[in-house]
Amino acid sequence: MNMHNRFRFLSISGAILWLSVFGLFPGLLMMGTSFLARHEAHLVDFRFSLEGYRTIIDPAFLKILWNSLYLAAGTTLLCLLAAYPFAYTLARMETRWKKVLLMLVMIPFWTNSLVRTYALVFMLKTRGIVSTILVWLGITAKPVSFMYTEAAVFIGLTYTLLPFMILPLYSAVEKIDGKMIEAARDLGAGSWRTFFHVTLPLTMPGIVAGCMMVFLPALGMFFVPDMLGGGKHLLVGNFIKNQFLVARDWPTGAAAGVVLTLLMLALIYVHGVSKGRLNKAGKKKS
Amino acid sequence: MKKVITLAIALLLALATAGLVRAESSRTVYVYNWTEYIPEGVIDQFTKETGIKVVYATYESNEAMYAKLKVMNSRGFDVIFPSSYFVNKMGKEGMLLPIDKSKLNNFKNMDSRHLNHSFDPGNKYSVPYTWGGTGILANPERVGPMPEKWSDLWDSRFKGTLLLQDDLREVFGMALKKRGYSLNDTNPDHIREAYEDLVALMPSVRTFNSDSPKIPFLNEEVAAGMIWNGEAHVAMGELDTLQFVWPEEGAIFWMDCMCIPAGARNVDEAYAFINFLLRPEVAATMVREWGYATPNMAAIPLLDEATRNDPAIFPPISVMEKSEFQNDIGEAITLYEKYWNKLKANQ
Amino acid sequence: MSQIRNTWRLLPVYIFLYTPMAALVAFSFNNSKFSTAWKGFTWQWYARLASNTQLMDAAINSLTIAILSATIATVLGVLLAVALFRYRFCGRRAVQAGLFVVMMSPDIVLGISLLLLFVLMGIRPGFLPLLTAHTTFCLPFVVATVYSRLKGFDPHVIEAAEDLGASEYQAFKNVILPMIMPAVAAGWLLSFTLSMDDVIISFFMTGPDYEVLPLQIYSMVKMGVKPDVNALSTIMIGVTVCLVFVSQLLMRKTK
Repeated sequence: MNMHNRFRFLSISGAILWLSVFGLFPGLLMMGTSFLARHEAHLVDFRFSLEGYRTIIDPAFLKILWNSLYLAAGTTLLCLLAAYPFAYTLARMETRWKKVLLMLVMIPFWTNSLVRTYALVFMLKTRGIVSTILVWLGITAKPVSFMYTEAAVFIGLTYTLLPFMILPLYSAVEKIDGKMIEAARDLGAGSWRTFFHVTLPLTMPGIVAGCMMVFLPALGMFFVPDMLGGGKHLLVGNFIKNQFLVARDWPTGAAAGVVLTLLMLALIYVHGVSKGRLNKAGKKKS
Repeated sequence: MKKVITLAIALLLALATAGLVRAESSRTVYVYNWTEYIPEGVIDQFTKETGIKVVYATYESNEAMYAKLKVMNSRGFDVIFPSSYFVNKMGKEGMLLPIDKSKLNNFKNMDSRHLNHSFDPGNKYSVPYTWGGTGILANPERVGPMPEKWSDLWDSRFKGTLLLQDDLREVFGMALKKRGYSLNDTNPDHIREAYEDLVALMPSVRTFNSDSPKIPFLNEEVAAGMIWNGEAHVAMGELDTLQFVWPEEGAIFWMDCMCIPAGARNVDEAYAFINFLLRPEVAATMVREWGYATPNMAAIPLLDEATRNDPAIFPPISVMEKSEFQNDIGEAITLYEKYWNKLKANQ
Repeated sequence: MSQIRNTWRLLPVYIFLYTPMAALVAFSFNNSKFSTAWKGFTWQWYARLASNTQLMDAAINSLTIAILSATIATVLGVLLAVALFRYRFCGRRAVQAGLFVVMMSPDIVLGISLLLLFVLMGIRPGFLPLLTAHTTFCLPFVVATVYSRLKGFDPHVIEAAEDLGASEYQAFKNVILPMIMPAVAAGWLLSFTLSMDDVIISFFMTGPDYEVLPLQIYSMVKMGVKPDVNALSTIMIGVTVCLVFVSQLLMRKTK
């Protein structure tokens, strides 16, 4: 075998092997378990049953699902709005300290998330730092608490997931050739037009990757809503964990996992199809 | 560049081998417990006296510990510390070894009132370690007169100020007790009634928290709620306007026990370890540090007057008679779970 | 001049990220066990930390696992991303779906099923399972980051290199890798972060003799998280910030 094929063969098969052993197995197991029945002492009873799916066709579960999607989508949007200007500015800076500045974004995240969320409580509580500043500025007369509100949940989730948006955006912006933007400007395009017609399309892959890496984990970040939202906002991640551990109803937990995964795959498929159509339409126009 | 890569690879290999190679001592006991759930210095003392090395692993909930041991066929650990209803469940499912009390000469220190509970009749599988209960903590300065019963919490003056445990057994247990039912009730009608009561309570609930319920009290985010007595004890030490009561309907009790999993390899070492923890000095330190009661009678004289007579640490007999320990409720847990999801989803 | 103005634009994000960190650092010097109000300055948590070998061991284990799993995941992930970008092999869609499913799998499912897999294989939970699991859940994040960078690159550049006689490996090393380097670094950093913070999967993977930090911290909650965790975090933040700055200064000197 020559050098050419060997590298290709090794890189593909190595990764596929890893993925099929450690990735496929859990997936299949989840799929399989979702069609079994619950057993009090042995966790699962090895007989076919749709009980798990029947349990989750329930208004309560749909509400939890909807609530999770809403929180995750809101967080993704907030992360994008905060991260884009930041990543853009950082990636286009010409300084030796660029890497240091990027590392500084990551360092807070190497602290345990539980400890970090406790630190956020210091900010948001009555007589916390935010409230103290607001009182000092004279914006409010009495100390206010932001704890146990939806806003607190959004702040917490954004805080936890921000780097997952910043890093892919940074690497996407970094690759844009500055000349492209200059050329657009030279041709008389305003800053907004340049942004929408040149910068944004070029960074689209980074945006998609970032959104995916924020949105999906956000569905499972249950400790943030628990601590900052007062445990009143159940997330799907929470629901699934409770099914597995508290109710010990593995089939229901697995069924919820399967439904969630299929839903997300469908979303991505729709996104892919609509993008394909757009591309085709775009090509026709030109 | 080449050098840097070689160096990096060497470093990675060194890290990997450091992870793989662990010295095995001749006699070891594998303990599975909460972080810092054994007073400082006790483990070192044990190793010094017996020469048995202690390997200490931690879990974050009974449920998670159960799931892991179940998948591992009860192997891997020699001493575990499940709470009341998990002793019940794991015993029933053959996951625990029966305890041979003749191997524990400190077992005689146990207060007989804390033996033979419904979750493990005759203490076949468990040796009590520490125990406590859920009662009411409130700040009368903020919410007026101190509540005395669970049902007082339904009063409208608590609107938006309550803390409930983030644990369905505790919350439903409270609601069942309020109605005069057992907190281990499996009757679907009773559970539904409890659920309906809880729906009515929701507008008063500011937060669910069972990680560290004292923190919202200390941050003055909540003014009343259900809390473990040990947590309450600590909170009252930090903020003296707080008061604790054992509700009239009866409290929810738990007991953490020492057990030996069925697949334990170092059974003799496990007995030695359990026996060591039954020493009065160890038990007394635990009470002082965490504010939870000890079932160890020999430890009581070692405590000072105030601690010994603190009703928040050692509930009086009258409270004990009305209260219950949590038991395994079998299949009914799925019904609880269903109502729990409904309760939370309809926020 | 505009450089300085640009730095100002970055400031809000740094303030958002570092104000809670400042609170965390401040409370590591607070003379109160439950750090809700300021009760005077103390070093006691640092002293306690020095004697808390369990916590220190766990911290070192966590770092080891994070560095190793981030590195392995980055190597595998980069190869996979490049393969997905360049080659049309059979099962390409399946690989994409597989990566997606791993990213999507609830932690608890991944944790329990991997434990089951290792029990079936006769491997006791501990270092190796932990490393494998962490590598697995980091993998999709690396692929997503690197793939998004590759997308939009002109494949002709690589083909041109090969036309000029470069082998597949040479093309990878000399053409592709330099192009995607920022994304590779980003993928590694994300993996490291994910690994340092995982609780649920780690819970099922750790054996009695190999414990990781997040697990200990979550378990500590029962008795109340004490400020020695703040002290540990402060040391970690301090050390990493120093390392970053020192390495930057050193690189400047050698230039």
